[in-house]
Amino acid sequence: MAAVIDPNTVEELKTTLGADFVNELIDTYCAETPGLLDQLHLALSQNDAESFRRAAHSMKSSSASLGALEFSAQARELEFLGKSGDISGADEKVAGLNTAYVQVARALRALVTYP
Amino acid sequence: MIRKATPSPGRLLVVDDNKVNRLLLGRGLEQQGHTVAFAENGKQALEMVRSQTFDIILLDIQMPEMDGYQVLEQFTEDIHLRDIPVIMTTAMEELDSVVKCIELGAEDYLTKPVNPVLLRARVNASLEKKRLRDQQRELVKKFATAEVAEDLEESGFALGGKYIQATAMFSDIRGFTTITESQSPGDTIDLLNTYYTLMFEAISGHGGVVNQMVGDGLMAIFGAPLPLENREEQAVRAALEMMEMIELFNIDQVAQGKAPIRIGVGIASGQMIAGYTGTIRRATYTCVGDAVNQAARLEAHTKVVGQPILIDEATRQKLSSAIQVEEQGVVQLKGKTQEIKFFVVPVNQ
Repeated sequence: MAAVIDPNTVEELKTTLGADFVNELIDTYCAETPGLLDQLHLALSQNDAESFRRAAHSMKSSSASLGALEFSAQARELEFLGKSGDISGADEKVAGLNTAYVQVARALRALVTYP
Repeated sequence: MIRKATPSPGRLLVVDDNKVNRLLLGRGLEQQGHTVAFAENGKQALEMVRSQTFDIILLDIQMPEMDGYQVLEQFTEDIHLRDIPVIMTTAMEELDSVVKCIELGAEDYLTKPVNPVLLRARVNASLEKKRLRDQQRELVKKFATAEVAEDLEESGFALGGKYIQATAMFSDIRGFTTITESQSPGDTIDLLNTYYTLMFEAISGHGGVVNQMVGDGLMAIFGAPLPLENREEQAVRAALEMMEMIELFNIDQVAQGKAPIRIGVGIASGQMIAGYTGTIRRATYTCVGDAVNQAARLEAHTKVVGQPILIDEATRQKLSSAIQVEEQGVVQLKGKTQEIKFFVVPVNQ
């Protein structure tokens, strides 16, 4: 199975943007993503495909930036579901994304380097 | 002109609803020396661009409140925003959307996650283009004509003078003072604006450049700052077209119960000194010298001989046989003992 976080992506970010900044980025990601997951759940319960699509799109994008490639791919699937307008059978996939996020957050926290 | 490989830093606006994306882009841009501001959605971005100055906008497409398309539409409608380059930041699979954005006026795009090397290249290219456009706009503001602006840009803003060969034209409205006394100030300004519009069209249509307008008079140069083939004949043809325009204009004037106007045109060719005079903030392309004085003198002399177009010998010599010319006589230049030979160009030929 592929790593939860692509180590090269994070290393590259650290080299080009600085380790401190990457720490900040990880903090921000972990602070923002739960809200987007909430939005996804809410949209699902209200059958709001547009809001669903937007939340999934946003997570897809930021996760890819931090190397959470598998999570990003899952979010992408949900984004396309939202785009199709029919999110009725998405419960399982949303739950799957939730579980995946817990792993992503844990893996990212482990990559935070302290001086 | 010296082009710098890396343009100096700019003030950029990053618009993205995702904070991680904003931080990432912002950091990359700040590392390249730019100043970065952030907006979370299109609505906020619009408020910011309307109250602050930005050199480039990096714009996400999918956003709540107002998306990237709506922002671009607002940009195209607003004359103050139209020239700010917009670079779309988008997911790889949104390339269809990028096409739509480019059609809506976006300048370029970057796919997320953004590659820092591409980011630098695209931002610098857009900055450079924006600076050139700004510079051009400044030039057009300062100088009467696009030709002059172009010439200045190419010569690297040299204000110094040089000898040139060109054809000068002077034109003014006969009995203008009487006209202004008989009508309202508003009518006088309307009249002048119509007159200038018609004259500009005739002159620039024949490759001439109007470089001075004073009251009801104007001066135009043919063959400078950019060379012009058959400049003498072009100047005479412009004068003939000016007469036709005035005739048409007069039909309108008379129909409105207003007085018709008449103009006089003097044309002379030869060596003159050309250069930019004024200050660096406001300069005019000016020509001085004997040929210029002769054109002015001939224009004044149209009143004396009662013919609207007078030209000097140097101009007449270069005309093709297609243009009829009648020999007239000599006129003395003001303040000079020297006499110049002049010719009448009949109107309606």
